[in-house]
Amino acid sequence: MLGLWLVVPLRAAEVIPAAPRDHFNDYAGLVSAGTAQVLDAELTQLERDSSNQIVVAIYPHMTSESSIEDYTVRVAQAWGVGQKGKKNGAVLFIFSTDHKLYIQVGYGLEGVLPDALCKQIIANEITPRFRTGDYTGGVQAGVHALIAATRGEYHGTGQTVADGRTGGQSSPLQTMVIIFVFGVLFFVRWAASRNRGSSVYGRNGRTIFPGGGWSGGGSSSGRGGGSFSGGGGSFGGGGAGGSW
Amino acid sequence: MSIGKILLVIVGILAVLAVIIGLSISGVYNRLITLQQGTDAAWAQVENVYQRRADLVPNLVNTVSGAANFEKSTLTEITEARASVGRVSAPSGGAPTDPAKFAEFEKAQAQLGGALSRLLVVSERYPNLTATAGFRDLQAQLEGTENRISVERGRFNEAVQAYNTALKSFPAVIFAGMFGHTARPYFTATAGSDKPPAVQFDFGAKTVPAKP
Repeated sequence: MLGLWLVVPLRAAEVIPAAPRDHFNDYAGLVSAGTAQVLDAELTQLERDSSNQIVVAIYPHMTSESSIEDYTVRVAQAWGVGQKGKKNGAVLFIFSTDHKLYIQVGYGLEGVLPDALCKQIIANEITPRFRTGDYTGGVQAGVHALIAATRGEYHGTGQTVADGRTGGQSSPLQTMVIIFVFGVLFFVRWAASRNRGSSVYGRNGRTIFPGGGWSGGGSSSGRGGGSFSGGGGSFGGGGAGGSW
Repeated sequence: MSIGKILLVIVGILAVLAVIIGLSISGVYNRLITLQQGTDAAWAQVENVYQRRADLVPNLVNTVSGAANFEKSTLTEITEARASVGRVSAPSGGAPTDPAKFAEFEKAQAQLGGALSRLLVVSERYPNLTATAGFRDLQAQLEGTENRISVERGRFNEAVQAYNTALKSFPAVIFAGMFGHTARPYFTATAGSDKPPAVQFDFGAKTVPAKP
């Protein structure tokens, strides 16, 4: 009980950002748009080839009072980067005005991305370029090092999680269940309105079965065109950080 | 209605009640078992990451003692702390239920954590040592391991909190003891030992006007 009281206010000050739409996400305008597109395509292809999900997320600053290693592991875990069984996700976080970065490595990639290697990638590839103002080059070199380290660890299906979800290829059973549920709901609504007039509507005229709620139910909606969708991977704090 | 029929109805009602109570007890029981196994799994992860740290110690001691006249007292402290950790965490197979044993485990681990962070502080005085790639790799591994420890400790605490709460809530509290369920101890929030040692970011860098 007491523990809850202590935990809740701490977490309340923290904002876990929504899961990103793409593999490469620059919310701080740090790298050139062309490079961002190329890197996103490379990371998307990596997921198709190897099923490894490597995500880059660049924010202007952290939205938490916690330390960066603490905060980023919670964010990566919440996004579910990596496939569920393999846990093969990794996220490169960059906070541009904080001048901090961190590579979070999922359980399944700790073998190919040990902490020491992450530290080397940061210290040798990324931060020297950042210090000279070459953000595009630093991010590029870092992403390429991450891709080189993780390629070949797992085998992919030729599809990303996002490919599978936005393709709209739901199974026949899924479609039947959806049609059935809709049918039942409409029948109930129709029967109720027939028998008791307007009682199916709430006192304030609000419908009990709001039509608007249904359209948002699909897992693919709102992801229009994004290249990334989390596969349910998990993180245990592996990786390394740095500053510039 | 004859007395026989009334009796039959009463027996029927009692039977239905017994079935309902039995179902709800088995539901609560299954939930407790699931939560208990959750704490065991989380504990296995905790032991895992602590073991990982203990395994780093021999390597670290070897690397550091290679540096000319490195402080012997720091090294002895680490070796001793490592040995006591090995003694304490020997019995395993599920999360600890005994608060005293748990406190002992936590104390030994905190000692090792403290000794390691002192080692990193002391080693700053040996630039020849800290410049070697081997030492820097070990340092990164140690920092990563401390992060893992803090993550798994946090998840263990969450699992135990869920279990303990379920034990003390209404239907379970009556019969949980009969099935051998007892509240489990968890880690104290701020031991200081779970803070990663010497992860010092260069806050001075903020003043450098290197803007994107």
